[in-house]
Amino acid sequence: MYPYYALFDESRREADESRFWFWNSMHFPLPMPAFDVACIDSPYQAVGAWQNRVFAVPPAMGIDYRIVNGYVYISGNPVTDPDKVAERVEFFQRRAGRYYQNWDELYGKWKRKMEALIAEITYLRVPDLPEYEPDEVMFEDDRNTAFYEVLDAYGRTLRCGDLMWQHHFEFLLLGYGAYVTFSDFCKSVLPDIPDQHIAQMVAGIDVLLFKPGAELRRLARLAIESGVDDAFVEGRTPEEIDAELRTRKEGRRWLEELERVKDPWFNMATGDGLYHYYRSWYDDPSIPYASVTGHIRALKSGDLRDRPTEEIQRERDRLAEEYGALLDDDARTTFRELLGLSRTVFPYVEEHKFYCDYWFLTRWWSKVREFGALLARGAFLEDAEDVFQLSRHEVATALDELLLTWATGGAPLGPSYWPPIVARRKGLLRRLAEWTPPPALGATPDAIYDPMSIMLWGVTTQRVQEWARATEGGSRLTGAPASPGVVEGPARVVIDVGEIADVRDGDVLVCPITSPAWAPIFPKIRAVVTDIGGVMSHAAIVCREYGLPAVVGTGRATAEIETGRQIRVDGSTGVVTILEA
Amino acid sequence: MTERTRLLTELRRPDASEFGGKSANLGELLAAGIPVPGGFAVGASAYRDFVRSTGLDGTIAAALSRAADDASKTIGEAMRFAPLPDGLRDELGARYEALGEPPVAVRSSALGEDGAEATFAGQQESFLWVRGVEHLCDAVRDCWASLFTPRAIAYRRRLGAGEEAMGVAVQRMVDAEVSGVLFTCNPVSGDPSMVAVNASWGLGIAVVGGETTPDDYLVSKITGEVVRRTVNPKHIEYVPDAAGRGTVRLEVPPERRERPCLDEERLAALVEMGRRVEHHFGSHQDVEWALARGESLPGALLVLQARPVTAQPRPAPKLSGSAMSLVMGTFGVSRDEE
Repeated sequence: MYPYYALFDESRREADESRFWFWNSMHFPLPMPAFDVACIDSPYQAVGAWQNRVFAVPPAMGIDYRIVNGYVYISGNPVTDPDKVAERVEFFQRRAGRYYQNWDELYGKWKRKMEALIAEITYLRVPDLPEYEPDEVMFEDDRNTAFYEVLDAYGRTLRCGDLMWQHHFEFLLLGYGAYVTFSDFCKSVLPDIPDQHIAQMVAGIDVLLFKPGAELRRLARLAIESGVDDAFVEGRTPEEIDAELRTRKEGRRWLEELERVKDPWFNMATGDGLYHYYRSWYDDPSIPYASVTGHIRALKSGDLRDRPTEEIQRERDRLAEEYGALLDDDARTTFRELLGLSRTVFPYVEEHKFYCDYWFLTRWWSKVREFGALLARGAFLEDAEDVFQLSRHEVATALDELLLTWATGGAPLGPSYWPPIVARRKGLLRRLAEWTPPPALGATPDAIYDPMSIMLWGVTTQRVQEWARATEGGSRLTGAPASPGVVEGPARVVIDVGEIADVRDGDVLVCPITSPAWAPIFPKIRAVVTDIGGVMSHAAIVCREYGLPAVVGTGRATAEIETGRQIRVDGSTGVVTILEA
Repeated sequence: MTERTRLLTELRRPDASEFGGKSANLGELLAAGIPVPGGFAVGASAYRDFVRSTGLDGTIAAALSRAADDASKTIGEAMRFAPLPDGLRDELGARYEALGEPPVAVRSSALGEDGAEATFAGQQESFLWVRGVEHLCDAVRDCWASLFTPRAIAYRRRLGAGEEAMGVAVQRMVDAEVSGVLFTCNPVSGDPSMVAVNASWGLGIAVVGGETTPDDYLVSKITGEVVRRTVNPKHIEYVPDAAGRGTVRLEVPPERRERPCLDEERLAALVEMGRRVEHHFGSHQDVEWALARGESLPGALLVLQARPVTAQPRPAPKLSGSAMSLVMGTFGVSRDEE
């Protein structure tokens, strides 16, 4: 079902167990159907090729993956040799620099390449297998027999997929890198800034990804203006709505307008992910029709008001201006430069999803479905959709036999060979879907340095430590982070101020609350945890003055923690961990 | 009148050396048009007259050569029975009468910039809901006495701080339905784009004293969005004593405990007021505020005091360098490799 190299294997057990693997739930939240493995292999070939062999990102080569019970775990290959890192720095600076400097021009070329590729996959013909080849095969130089045409079409389909993934990653690392740097910079100088505001400052007003939704709102308005909105009744199928629209002149005009909108905006996918399950709005118009119906209702009740683009533009500039004004001169200069670079790369960061993940992929899956239909007509599959239960190599094998027996007139084994395999795998996927994979496997690293894991998956040192703690079974308390810093030490539970004489140097004070009467013990202790109190309570203020980490308002620290237990106090996140004895 | 007392509206920052940071700041706030309950300030010269005229100065000097606990006890007992000079008593009476003889809050106001006082983290006294000139005089003297708690003595010795003297602020009392503290930055993270608000039922001492876990709000100055809202159960509140003097600590009725004590409108008013205070002083401020019971915005919101944020928030960990070198850093190109 899965390739041999995708599995954990005894022969590389030692190496794999010492590595850190995390579940890539962002891209692969479901157990993998056999064909969809193409959307693991190609992307990781492509990301590695760019990252490791083209840009030579200094500390990171590519990303390995393993499938465990149908779920995809990944692990970066670091570059550890300092000489090697130094060698790669030269490549990286030169090549990345060229992209950043010529971004708009290169990105313009990229869009044309993608549009050509999408046209190729769209118009790629999957021929049927005729009883007799037509005369053209004899009389026209460029016509071939169907066996070759089908094999050629299948090979080209796979190659189009590979090429799309190659394009996909050409700008991705650098685009995300610029954006993430701006975001990190904002969070370092404005630690509480909502992610939303960072995005608002960067996002353009003409982002491609907003277009499909905007077009549907426009169509809703058009339906009201031309008086055909009554056709959009909740619960009607798109066919029923179309049928009614066709009975009226204004309705037919609306349908013509819809046709214009469809190319390209109906190439949105119905889901966000790299699976064949997600179809486009072309394949499943019930989603855009339901949107139009909802918009009509909202427009008529006054709930839907489009924000004018000038207003969005003004708000974006106001945020950038006001946040910038809070920074000192040096930080403001960097802020503006990074914002400028982020705005340059942003169209790609947003739009590649539309071009690659939605527009291309939905057409590509549909093309694969056509081969499924061919196999189903030959009784190799019960249903065209079953093609996704075979790997792309198994499909090639099945096509080989189908074409062989079509040509020879012999009896195929396929109809008895493939359907049981499909049935078994469907049952397996159903069972695997019930399993919840652990977030990570293998050795927990002390820190995460791989820029790609941090940038693309948000797998940071902090996240990894949280996962590790969750599996240690140590109990945790949370409260308000009142004074930053992390320390570990023995807990000293003090309920009443009369007991403060018991406090020893280096203790972590655990108490209900503190008041000024507790002042003498602050020079002795390493951190404070309280049951109640906010970030401006006495304990919090005094801890900030003494530079001691504090977590206040945990609710139950004095009940949960015993004197003498080792605890870790993280005054930056508000987490108190009771460590194992 | 002498220079021993002055209306709060007449004070400005340079007056901190005589009237204390708290009173001087209240004067600044009033001058900036920020709503502050009216009142007057008692200067350090009043304290000096008091200790000189009663001969306490000698007692204090002698006692301070001994251990802090011992000194505190001796000075405290001597002070409790020492009469205020007649002139000062009359002056306080006249000021109080001019104010309309309302219930007042009497608070110590340490000399010098208010930031220094903050290090005491509440070690100096406040007397709330004081009524009548007799009790006012007692409260003023009790504020002075708080200079000589064992903690205050030990604190001055540790810091090698100079003369023990202080100002006192006397302000019209606000019957607060809700009160709390506001920071014009996030005091924990140092984020300057946020206003942090703690709020609880009743008078502010429940929040400042850490006796209740207040509601905790973090609001964006830029957009007014509430980016964090933690509503905590608020078990106790302080309200004026129905008997007419001081405050009482009450259990909050169960139905009010877990109700947020600030809505969007009140938060917006607080943020706006915080921005004005910050703008006036040109630095991050720690503001005590109250919403008067039974009144509606904007009149309900009053500032009780403002001071620079104690323990200035750590400078946010700054990534420095040119934009492109930071981008290179994201890809693991370290500074010395450039």
